[in-house]
Amino acid sequence: MIEIVNLTKRYGRHTAVNEISFEVQRGDVVGFLGPNGAGKSTTLKMLTGFIPPTAGAARIAGFDIFRESLEVREKIGYMPENVPLYTDMRVKEYLRFRGALRGLSGSKLRTRLGEVMETCSLTHVRRKMIKTLSKGYRQRVGLADALIHEPELLILDEPTNGLDPNQIRSIRRLIQQLGEQHTILLSTHILSEVEMTCNKVVIIDEGKVRASDSPSNLVKSMRRAGRISLELKIAPEVGEAVLPTLTDVTKVTSEPLQEGWTRFSVFVAPNTDTRVRLANLAAEKKWELRSLARRNANLEEVFVELTRKD
Amino acid sequence: MRTFRILFFKELKSYFLSPFGWLICSFAALMQGLSLSTTIKSFSDVAVSESLVYATFQAPTFWFYFLFLFPVLTMRLFSEENRSGTLEGLMTAPVKTWQVVLSKFGAAYVTYLILWIPAWIHFRLFSWLTDVPPPFVSGEVIGVFVILALMGALFTAIGCLASCLTASQIIAGVVCIGILFVHFLLGLVTYFYGDQIDAAPLFSFISSREHLASYSRGLIDSRTIVYYLTMTGFILFLTHHVLDYRRWKP
Repeated sequence: MIEIVNLTKRYGRHTAVNEISFEVQRGDVVGFLGPNGAGKSTTLKMLTGFIPPTAGAARIAGFDIFRESLEVREKIGYMPENVPLYTDMRVKEYLRFRGALRGLSGSKLRTRLGEVMETCSLTHVRRKMIKTLSKGYRQRVGLADALIHEPELLILDEPTNGLDPNQIRSIRRLIQQLGEQHTILLSTHILSEVEMTCNKVVIIDEGKVRASDSPSNLVKSMRRAGRISLELKIAPEVGEAVLPTLTDVTKVTSEPLQEGWTRFSVFVAPNTDTRVRLANLAAEKKWELRSLARRNANLEEVFVELTRKD
Repeated sequence: MRTFRILFFKELKSYFLSPFGWLICSFAALMQGLSLSTTIKSFSDVAVSESLVYATFQAPTFWFYFLFLFPVLTMRLFSEENRSGTLEGLMTAPVKTWQVVLSKFGAAYVTYLILWIPAWIHFRLFSWLTDVPPPFVSGEVIGVFVILALMGALFTAIGCLASCLTASQIIAGVVCIGILFVHFLLGLVTYFYGDQIDAAPLFSFISSREHLASYSRGLIDSRTIVYYLTMTGFILFLTHHVLDYRRWKP
């Protein structure tokens, strides 16, 4: 659906996007991650034809984003960052205008209007001026706008930016539903969102692709994959002296809890399981043990590992 | 064409579905009425050889409000979209740049033409309400509205260009009135320096003040029509390229 080859954008001396390449298959829901200023929005703006690339090329549904911009724009539904809308229009009026601009008319336009307002739960605010709506509703209007012409590809730039947790959940649920029928490319820096909604992740930083895989594969490949959390009723020093003597244990940190308990984080080599040996050790030393669990690395740790500067 | 129509009516609505358009309309109607009534008043004081149409549009008050109509009408057009970011939504929809430019220009221009309806009614009132013969002939009325339409096209296009150059409405308005004022002053060069200077024909050729004077005597000059139409086309062409530049700059 999307093929990006060495896409580059320079602003004077500053390189915002530096030769990135990745592909998105039809039906994928792709999370496009990166810290602030990594070049996410710039990439999306290039894909939607709003700004041209300095070098490289990209094709959407087989059309070149630069030479066949109009065809590309017909295929995509785009929700820009911060969802700019004509605030002095009413919700339905705005969506009707955008739908007409996308080539819908007559009964087709009417049914689509009803459908997108239903999907985005906008029906009860359809007569309100957009300027009177809350941020969450504006976000939904933006999403309805992107959906109105049933695009093959949805490009969403930080769709949950600035929403409260309830709104984030409802937008996320909406994206999950939409992902069943559409190809979606969404940029965000909320990682839990990506873990829940996306089947592919592209992480970029400083204009370069750092990783591109499914969330579970990324997590698996992480160095820190093995980390065991252990709560024992011993002094931190005792544990820190004894636990590292076990094989495969690379590092132990401790955190004192109440009533003499201590939580140890035991880092182990990848693809090993030390849990049984830890339990045996505790039994042997007659340490009281109340919790022993392997903590799998999550996408957040992958993200931090790939993009941190220190 | 369909896309153009949709964009055009959306722009036109934004003038007349808000107090904004009606405020300009009432301001224009007020100033037109004021010009007319002061001219009629001056007719009653001294004997005047010129017609009422000519005298009304030669009054200094005319240029005073006329030039200010354009920044007010056009400053918002592109700069507001630029500032609020809606330009991104607009330009990533399948629309061509010329459709956006022409629809915005067209809507502003149609609004401008609507502003002159009260002035037209003023001149018609003579025959509607009185049996006195009107103090002008119909050719003068036609001439004056033709030149108003021509000047309006060029000045609206200049307003569009100014609005396209910046994301600030205020700056767009100031740039627009600045260009219009300089254009007006260039037309006054022959008035101040006489027709003896070498460039005098050029200055009088571009002088909107002189065009208005000759048209309001009923003298319709085809050179002027060509001048305004080509200049309008050229300025809109520039506007198109400024807007499209975003799509081309490396």
